[in-house]
Amino acid sequence: MNKFLTTIFVVMLWPLVTTAQTPSWNEIKGEQLIALQTKGDAVRGEVAFEPCQGCHRNDASGRTSGAYPRLSGQHATVLIKQIVDIRAGRRINPKMEPFIGDHALTPFEIADIASYLQGLPISAEIGKGPGTRLAAGKQLYDKDCTSCHGARGEGSAEKFYPMVASQHFRYLLRESQFIRDGDRRNSNPEMVKVIKSYSNSDLEALADYMAQLPPPRR
Amino acid sequence: MNRPDKDRSRKAGKGFRALGPALAVALGAAFGNPVAAQDVQTVTATVCAACHAEDGNSVIPMFPKIAGLQEAYIVKQLRDFMSGRRKSDVMAPVVAQLKPEDVAPLAAFYSKQKLKPGEADNKKAIGLGKLIFHDGNEETGVPACVGCHQPQGAGHGVYPRIGGQHTAYVTQQLKNFAASERSNDVSRFMRVTSKRMSEEEIHAVAEYLVGLEAK
Ligand code: HEC
Ligand code: HEC
Ligand code: HEC
Ligand code: HEC
Repeated sequence: MNKFLTTIFVVMLWPLVTTAQTPSWNEIKGEQLIALQTKGDAVRGEVAFEPCQGCHRNDASGRTSGAYPRLSGQHATVLIKQIVDIRAGRRINPKMEPFIGDHALTPFEIADIASYLQGLPISAEIGKGPGTRLAAGKQLYDKDCTSCHGARGEGSAEKFYPMVASQHFRYLLRESQFIRDGDRRNSNPEMVKVIKSYSNSDLEALADYMAQLPPPRR
Repeated sequence: MNRPDKDRSRKAGKGFRALGPALAVALGAAFGNPVAAQDVQTVTATVCAACHAEDGNSVIPMFPKIAGLQEAYIVKQLRDFMSGRRKSDVMAPVVAQLKPEDVAPLAAFYSKQKLKPGEADNKKAIGLGKLIFHDGNEETGVPACVGCHQPQGAGHGVYPRIGGQHTAYVTQQLKNFAASERSNDVSRFMRVTSKRMSEEEIHAVAEYLVGLEAK
């Protein structure tokens, strides 16, 4: 199913890519283009993912502390974009950079890893928030976030919108703050606009809500 | 042969000097004048055994156990010693006597031996060592060793077996990686990892590793 999805994706994306109509937060070129056009091989990806396991865990479930995000089940397109952005310094990640720089991974291996991770089951062990303001979180989420991240937090493979359901609470909270404060420079500007006015406690309620959303069915 | 500025080579060098005369004889006997194929058994018994013991389970803490290491890893290390990519004042004169075609049979021999674990000297350090091995350190970005080196430190592929290895040797290698004195690690993985570790963490993980027994 993995291979099938990847194939579909490449076929679907091809016209988009060749017309070069990609938005500035997601200019698809260079190694991102190469990785997206490569048919990822999940078997090779499993091997290429080994150096990542020390932080993201063998099953790619990340850490419940939120220090390292869950990668299993995330859209391959999202994974590719994030890795490429981190390599290019558009998203700053000094802890991880030495393990994913171009001395360590080729664009083809990025495609393989993305294909492998996308096909992994989502672990049930997710770092949850306090669970105290879920209703407030849901209200904000339904108002401002569903248009991109989906009603069930499933995101969108074609649009490069991450799945946010069943991600670790602390990670979601930290990233939301980075996005709001301009520290995650590769973010969709539409989202930055939406999130700008949010207080820390709003973001906490949102992260609380997103973390406990069950893994979306595919 | 001794670089007086380096504690490591001093220590290792002393061991080497002590073994000097015996080794010189052994090297002479085993290698003699350029002969065609060397008998692996002769080389292991008369040369390598002096430091690594007959079955590769060295009893000298500064000399690594080479029993049960991955075959491809042994090949890589011997080649790296030969080319100078991995520097060791002790191993350099040894490999200088080897021919390229000796490497494969030596690696095959030692990889088939069973590595015997040892015991920690400082049992109090084991708890922290276990934590580092399984979780790393999220604050400083030390990845968990188990991610690459596998459960019980058994290793596989390019990741060597480290479970059961001598504490002193592991400690020294981690310090060498951190100082980039050992720089033959592909993609700099070990240099990056060890640079993020405190002395205490290095010591602790080495004390934990020595007791690990892997199939
Ligand atoms: C030293 C620890 C470490 C290692 C090793 C590591 N990562 Fe990461 N990774 C992180 C951290 C920390 C983050 C989150 C950074 C942040 O907060 O922005 C992250 C984030 C990511 C993300 C972004 C996820 C998202 O939802 O946006 C991807 C993709 C990723 N890592 C893939 C990998 C791959 C592939 C490897 C191996 C080639 C790897 N990582 C190795 C620490 C690590
Ligand atoms: C216009 C579309 C859009 C909207 C609306 C939007 N997002 Fe996003 N979001 C994105 C994209 C695209 C990314 C990936 C950004 C990147 O490439 O760095 C993202 C990333 C994130 C991430 C990081 C996920 C990860 O795995 O690293 C979080 C958290 C997040 N969004 C939260 C929110 C919240 C909360 C809202 C509502 C307040 C929201 N977003 C609204 C498009 C959107
Ligand atoms: C005089 C002592 C001595 C002799 C003789 C010797 N070695 Fe070594 N060997 C060492 C030391 C010391 C090291 C560690 C070098 C360092 O500090 O990096 C080592 C390292 C190695 C390693 C790398 C181990 C690892 O875990 O990375 C291999 C493989 C090895 N030796 C094989 C051999 C073989 C095969 C022979 C016989 C041909 C041999 N050695 C003879 C002392 C010796
Ligand atoms: C990202 C993968 C990765 C992680 C994580 C990792 N290592 Fe390594 N390690 C390697 C590789 C690859 C080598 C082999 C280097 C070479 O080819 O010379 C190695 C070699 C070593 C060696 C030398 C073995 C010998 O016989 O000389 C030691 C000791 C070691 N690692 C300890 C650790 C410890 C302790 C940790 C956890 C704190 C750790 N490693 C985490 C990849 C890793």
